[in-house]
Formats: sequence, structure tokens, C-alpha cells
Amino acid sequence: MTIRRMFVAIAVAAAATFSATPLLAQAKSFTVGVPLPLTGAEAKFGEMEKQAYDMAVEEINAKGGIKGVKLALDIQDSGGKPETATAIVEKFIGTNKYPIVVGEYSSQCSYAVAGVAEKYKVPYLVVTGAADKITQEGWKYVYRLNPPASLYNLGVFGFFENVAKPKTIAILYENTDFGNSTSKAMKEYCDGHGVSVVLSEGYQAGGVDFKPILQKVKSLRPDIVYMVSYLMDASLLMRQSKELDLNAQAFIGGGAGHTLPEFLQNAADASELCMSATLWTPQAKYPGAKEFFDNFKKKFGKEPDYHGVEAYAATYVLADVLKRAKTATPEDLRAALASTDLTTAFGPVKFVSWGKFTNQNKMETLVLQVIKGKYETVWPPEAATAKYVYPVPRWRDRK
Amino acid sequence: MSPQVAGQIELLGQVLISGILLGGLYALIGLGMSLIMGVMKIINLAHGELMMVAMYITYGMFTLWKVDPYVSLLVVCPAMFLLGIAIQKFLITPVMNADSVLPQNQVLLTVGIGLVLSNLALLLFTANYRSVPVSYASKTIYWDVKAGGQTISLSFSYPFLVAFGIAVFLGAALFLFLGMTDTGRMIRATAQDKRAASLLGINTKRITYITFGLGAALVGAAGALLDPVYYLYPQIGGPFTSKAFVITVLGGLGNIPGAVLGGLVLGLAESLGSVYVSLGYKDAFGFIIFVLVLIFLPKGLLGKGRA
Amino acid sequence: MTKSLAAALLSVTALALLPLFVSNTYVLHMLVMVLLWVLLGQSWNLLGGYTGQVSYGHAAFFGVGAYTTAIMVKSGLSPAMAWWGLLLGGILAALVGSVLGWICFRLRGPYFSLSILALSEVLRLIAVNWKDLTNGAEGILYIPAFNSKAAYYWIILALAAVSFLTIRAVMRSKFGFYFLAIREDQDCAESLGINTTKYKLYSLLISAFFTGVAGSFYMNYMGFIDPGIVFSLPDISIMMILCTMLGGAATMEGPAVGAVLYILMSEAFRVFLKSGHLLFFGILIIVIIIFFPQGIVGTLRERWAGRRLRAASPGISKEVA
Repeated sequence: MTIRRMFVAIAVAAAATFSATPLLAQAKSFTVGVPLPLTGAEAKFGEMEKQAYDMAVEEINAKGGIKGVKLALDIQDSGGKPETATAIVEKFIGTNKYPIVVGEYSSQCSYAVAGVAEKYKVPYLVVTGAADKITQEGWKYVYRLNPPASLYNLGVFGFFENVAKPKTIAILYENTDFGNSTSKAMKEYCDGHGVSVVLSEGYQAGGVDFKPILQKVKSLRPDIVYMVSYLMDASLLMRQSKELDLNAQAFIGGGAGHTLPEFLQNAADASELCMSATLWTPQAKYPGAKEFFDNFKKKFGKEPDYHGVEAYAATYVLADVLKRAKTATPEDLRAALASTDLTTAFGPVKFVSWGKFTNQNKMETLVLQVIKGKYETVWPPEAATAKYVYPVPRWRDRK
Repeated sequence: MSPQVAGQIELLGQVLISGILLGGLYALIGLGMSLIMGVMKIINLAHGELMMVAMYITYGMFTLWKVDPYVSLLVVCPAMFLLGIAIQKFLITPVMNADSVLPQNQVLLTVGIGLVLSNLALLLFTANYRSVPVSYASKTIYWDVKAGGQTISLSFSYPFLVAFGIAVFLGAALFLFLGMTDTGRMIRATAQDKRAASLLGINTKRITYITFGLGAALVGAAGALLDPVYYLYPQIGGPFTSKAFVITVLGGLGNIPGAVLGGLVLGLAESLGSVYVSLGYKDAFGFIIFVLVLIFLPKGLLGKGRA
Repeated sequence: MTKSLAAALLSVTALALLPLFVSNTYVLHMLVMVLLWVLLGQSWNLLGGYTGQVSYGHAAFFGVGAYTTAIMVKSGLSPAMAWWGLLLGGILAALVGSVLGWICFRLRGPYFSLSILALSEVLRLIAVNWKDLTNGAEGILYIPAFNSKAAYYWIILALAAVSFLTIRAVMRSKFGFYFLAIREDQDCAESLGINTTKYKLYSLLISAFFTGVAGSFYMNYMGFIDPGIVFSLPDISIMMILCTMLGGAATMEGPAVGAVLYILMSEAFRVFLKSGHLLFFGILIIVIIIFFPQGIVGTLRERWAGRRLRAASPGISKEVA
């Protein structure tokens, strides 16, 4: 008797709680939903992106918002879990009735969110998720601002062809969506361009001791050591490479961990002369790039990397879309998104389709190198702020 | 000798060194759990989180007062000892006395404790990765061996060597403590048969407090030693808890030399497996050995633990 | 018809009519998740609560079920046809269960728990590394077959109800008695002539089957899985145990109560507190384990039984009840 009552009571309470969720009043501001990992393993990036989003919204609203209406972002924490991200987006679309979704950080979460957005025919602007397949599914409502993982390395490929001309390469990558996609692209390039891949192994993130596998790489004597890692693994890999006296013509990262300012602190002198593919540097010649970097640093006390500027630019793209759209319905927003042609602090944004990709922004990528403890752009020459150092001297020969 | 052969010898040598040094640190992590499981027969799934707490204490002392992690051991160990006693006294003992359908409540309690500890850390310290950049973090000792016309260079990480040394020292100290002191003997008696020990006049409640405290202090020491070579974030605990019970089982519950051996076996399995079999399955090797030992050698590798 | 069966049937009918009144997709999503966890909790409960074999590795079965459907679609089957994956996923999960059981049932108590945990982790690593089969860490994604949430809601409601009735029937049969005997004292049961290994295996097969079905449903519903999600130790294995034990192991309603608590609380905390929900969940676990050692349902039952006893005979002192 009492158990049944309890059952029913719980069911009724649940239904009541959720049916009473009020819809956000949209009269005073235009709100867009943004899922982000504010907790969990990727919280660092989520936090940087949130700060960039907030900064962009402030700037846009200070300049009058969107035709007088203020822009607001409803940022929710997905914890980096695709399941939570999809639940959040379901809520955005079903309950809050936001007509457009922006955000997420990791490839897995972006991919999952894209599937949901496509199902409900709501436009979704991918900001950081890099796995190729996010824009290779032929989806009509998914648009991506950042280049796909396979193109991250375009700058590096250019460097290979014109300067390095390596014969052998060892590839170490984190066994995640991002790690797999990016390293796969590198492997395919090498196989097609006569560079022998002596080792290509995925590792579980969070390892303590990489020395065994690094020693194996050392025994194979590759010209290039290429790594795709997030921050801490990147730091440990470089530190332990130095400890093992593992030498190569160059150490190249595939983005992510190797481009964060904390990499310089954590890997200390082991980060010196480390290269990485990157999508953006503060010295890039795009309007607002340097201002974004300086303002962010002044406001938050730390330097943003390309993830931050992606979020910043995405907000500007969003504002532009909202200004140009005929109405605030998903269909009209999608149409406005499709016809975007904007230059942002991150670079030019125009969604095109080629090969298997649809609605993808196509961009140049660059190569960074850590020279005297600072990130310098070293390739392509037109964008370079310093001359590259190649080949890098052996560890024991460095001061 | 050809360079390729020299390279292979160097590889094997380095892999063995890595395995052993890492194994020493693993052993220290496992020692605490072996003691707890041996005496109280409960699986402490918050073991990794206890290590995390110790790591944050070490980090705090280094960042605020520039205290070297090895020195802060003197503070971390007693602090963790007290924390362990508190957890045992106020949380675990009440649950152990309650009658319930499944005796697994204590284990789940430790899951809850682990969640609280890691999320408190998240709240206090955010999810940022922290590190303790001591000056000797990357210090390496090189040993170049000339053989057959080739040079084989092996490198030993200084902080790992220190950690290994301290781990072995603590393991020996614990062994002597259990074997030669009255308290130690009382702990072993309680581990063997709690009721008999109680009948013989041993305050088994106090003994369980001390044991949990000791276990926490040991894993705390491991955390302090791990800080210079690794990094720190609130969710660091999980995988280390898994490694701890693998080591505990390998060594046999409550068997101290066994736990040290278990740690070494795990370290070597990971190192050798990641290079000669597959890097992706590195974490699986420990688990597979774990299950095999459980089935075929229930008393642990040394055959002296309790089944 | 007993009271508990009547209660259950009433609840199911009420729940079945719900989508006719509620069309908010978010609310339906929450209800689907609750029912999914009811299914998971019940499945675990059969092996853990009733047979006393506490498995820390049920994610293995969930993952096998999920990947069965995922691989069916990856190999070219349409998402609509992939619903057959429910059955196939359950069967494959049961098969994996028989292998894991054969290995781990030689061990007792905590050793069984840990060994099945270890093997579940090994399966996760296999899913990550066997990229040709599972796409590795990239995961498998496809647009689910149905657009309406209500369809999924009814399917999971049916699954949860079927598993409830099956487990109830099993527990009332000879099997149920053997399971309880094994839980109470395995050696005693063995000496009474019960082939404990055989019956433990039966319990595991049913438990794994339903867990696999749940995994398969999850794939069909979410449209995206990867090894870290479906083979997850903390998110699936441990949560299954927590849901059941908080609700009350070895009770028929316990898993349902635990599931409701877990899902609604997690979401409420996430929405209202933005973060820190896990912290409160951890505290809640500690509080419930200390004050409700038999889980919510179990402890409440005990207390009411005690109260009824005392009410019936006022002469009996408090110590008896």
C-alpha cells in the first residue's frame, strides 16, 4: 500500500517538476544555447572558451547588440560526456526552443550534438570539434567553423615538402576521437608521399611513464617524431623524450596540448624547439586577432590559444547570422548561416563543400615553434614571425 | 655488434628499468590497500582519492612555502594517517556494524567517500592540471655501457629512483613494524581472525582505525613521491585504485613482501607489454595477470597471503 | 493478485498513458532515462541482490549489447532493422556472460567482484583498440530510426515491465529459492545438493541478457556510443550497483526507486547547481548507506514491519522489533 503510494508520488513529483519549467522570455534578449565541458577532463578548454564567449558577447552588446536586442548565451556544462551534451541540446531544442545551437569542445561531444541537431532540423555551428566525420555525413544543418582534423596538418605538410623532406616518421597519438582522426590524416599523407611510418601507436591518456614506448621510438631512429596529445601527456612526452635523450630532426605536435601556454610551463626546457600544427596565432594578420589576444590576456590574466579565438569568432559569426536572418526560425537561421562570408579574428569564415565535406569552413593552417620559450609562427613564410630551426640540435648538445 | 642489435638491447634495458622503477611506486600505492584489505577485508575504492588528497597537500606546501615534496612527506604522512583514522572511525565502522543483505555496503560507502573527496577537490582547486615543478623533475642519471663496439646508453630518472628507494624503505619498515612490534602483531592477529583477536583482549576497533590510518599514510607517501614526475587533477584517483587492488591480489592480502613484488610485476608487465605487445592494451596486461593469479594462485604470487 | 503486483501494474498503466499528456521532449527524455536505469537496476539486482554475486563489471554486458546494434548498422543494416539488435545484443551479452561467469565464478565475494571488474575493463580496452570492428575511440553514430520520443518511451517501458515480470517469475520459482540459498550460504547450498555454479550461471545469463538488451536500446535511442561511454566502470558498472543498493537490493521495487533517485537528482543538480552535483550525490550515498543500510525500500520495509509488530502486541519491548 505505502510502496505504491511512494511510486505514484515520485512519478507525480517528477512530472510536476519538469512540466513547470518555464520557457525563457526572449523579449529582452536573444538567447542561444551553448553546451561546453566546464567540468571533467576538458574543463580547462571549456573554461577558456566560456571566457572567450563571454568577452565576445560583451563586446557585441556594447556595440548595440543585434538590431538593438542584446545577445545572451545559455552556457551549460556537459562535463565532456556526449550523453550529457545530447541531453542538454535536447532540452535546448525541446524545452527552451532555441532556434540555433553553438559550441561544444571535443570531437565526440560535437559529433553527438550534431546528430541531435540534424535530427530536429536545427542549425548547429561546430566550433572546436575536429574529427573529420562531423562534416562528412552529408548533414544539412551542421556547419563547422574550424578546419577538420585531417587539414590541421596542412601547414606541417607544406613544411615537410619544402624544408624537412623527411624519410621516416614515428606517430604517437592519444586514443581518442581527436587523436585518431588527426594521426590517421598524418599517416595517410605519409603513405601517399613516400614517408615511411616506422611506428604508429595509440596510447591511453593519463599514463605515468611513456619511456618504454619512447625508447622503442628511439630504437627506430625516425627523422620526425609526431605526437597528438592533450596538455599533460604532451608535457610528459617531451620531458621524458629529453630524459631518454631521444633525438629527432624535429618533434611536431598535432595541435591541442602542444599549443597551450601551460605546455611551456609544464614541459619547461623540454618544450624548446618543439613544433606544432596550429590553426591560429596572435600574430595572424586577421582584423581583431591581436586585440583579442591582448584584451583576453588583460581581462583573464592568461593567454588564449586557438580554442579561445574559435569561440570568440563563433560568437561574431552567430551575431552576423542573427542580423542577416529574415526571422529567428531554424530554417531562416540555417539559410543565413549557409551564406556567411565574414572575416573574423580567427580568419575568414565561409562554408563550402568539397570532396566528402559539407558546410565546412576552409582555412590555412600554420606551424608554431617554441623558440627561446615563446611560441613563434615559423611556417608558411608569409605568416612567419621567426625563422624555423630545423633540424633541432640533440638534447645533450643544448645548453 | 650492429647498431640494430645494440638498439634492441638498449630498448630491453630501458624497458626493464622503467618497469622496475615504476613498479616501486606502484608497490607503495598497493601496500596501503593490501594492509587494509588484509585486516578489514574491505575493498577501499577511495584509495586513489586518498592519494589525490596527499598530492594536493604536497602541491600546496610546495606552491605556498616552497617545501620540497620529499620533505613534505613528514607532514603528509601524519596528516593522511589522521584522515584515515577519521574516515574509518566516523564513516566506515558504523556501516560495518549494520546488518544488511549484502556485505558490500562498506565498499559502496568508499565509492561515496571517493566521490566526495574528488568533487571537493574539484570545487576547491578547479579542474586545472597542477604540477610541482621541482628543479630535479627531469634530472636524469645516464649510464653509458660500451659493448661490442657500440654504446648502449641507459637513463635513470632521478625522482623515480628516489621514489623507488623510499618505497622499498617504507615497505621494509612496514614489514619490520608488523613483525616485531606489539601493535604490528596485534594487526596481524586481527587480520587472521578478528573474533579470536578480540577474545584475546585486543582492542580490534582501535586496530582497524590504526590500520586504515597506516594504509592512508602509505598511499599518501606514494602521492607525494608521484607529484614531481606526474601531474595533479581532482579525478586522478580512479586508475590508481585499480592498480592498487591488482597489486594487492598479486601479492596476497596483507602480505607486505608480496605487495612489493606485485608492484614490480605490474610495472614490468605494463612496460614490457606496451613495447613488445601493444601500447594500446597497456592497461589490460595488469588486469589479465590479475585474473589469472586470482584463479590459479589464490594466495598470491608468493603463496603466503590469505585466499 | 498480490499487492506488489497490483501496484506495479497500476504504475505501468499510468506510465503508459503519460505521453498522451506530456509532449515535452525533454521530460520524456528524462523518463526514458529513468526507465532505462530501472531496467539496468533490475537486471543487476537478480545477480547481485538475489544471488549475492556482486558484479562490478556489468558494463561489459551493456557495452556488448550496445555495440552489437552499432556494428549491425555499421555493416550496412538500416537503423530500423537494427531494432533486432535488441534481441541479438541480449543474446550476445548472455554469451559473454557465460564466458565471464565460467572464469570468475570460481571466486567468491570480493574476489569475484574484482575479477569481473578487471575483465570488463579488458573488454573496454578491446573496444578501444579493435578499430576495424568498433571504430575505436571515434565511436559509432547514426540517426535513430524514430523521430518521436514517445515511441522510445513505450519501448523502454515495455522492456522494463517485461524484465520486472520475468525476474519476479524467476524469483518465485525453484530458481529463486536456489539463488537465495546461494546468497545466504553457498557452501551450505552446495552440500544440500544444489549445483551452485550452474545456478549462479543461470542468474548471470538472465542478468546479462537484460543488461545487453538495455545497451542495445541505448544505442538505438542515443544514436551515439563509444567505448568510454558504454563500457564505463564509474558511469555504468558502479552506478548500476549504487542505484540498486540505494533503492534496496533484493527487493523488487528497490531498483526502480534507486533509478528515479539517481536520474532525477543528477539532472536537478545539474540544472540548478550547474556543477557540484556529483559532490552532493556522493554525500547522499554516504548518508543513505549509513542510515538506510538495506537501501531505501529495504530499510523502510523493515521499519514498518517492526512498527506493525509493535502495534500488534503492545507488550513487546522495543528491542525485539
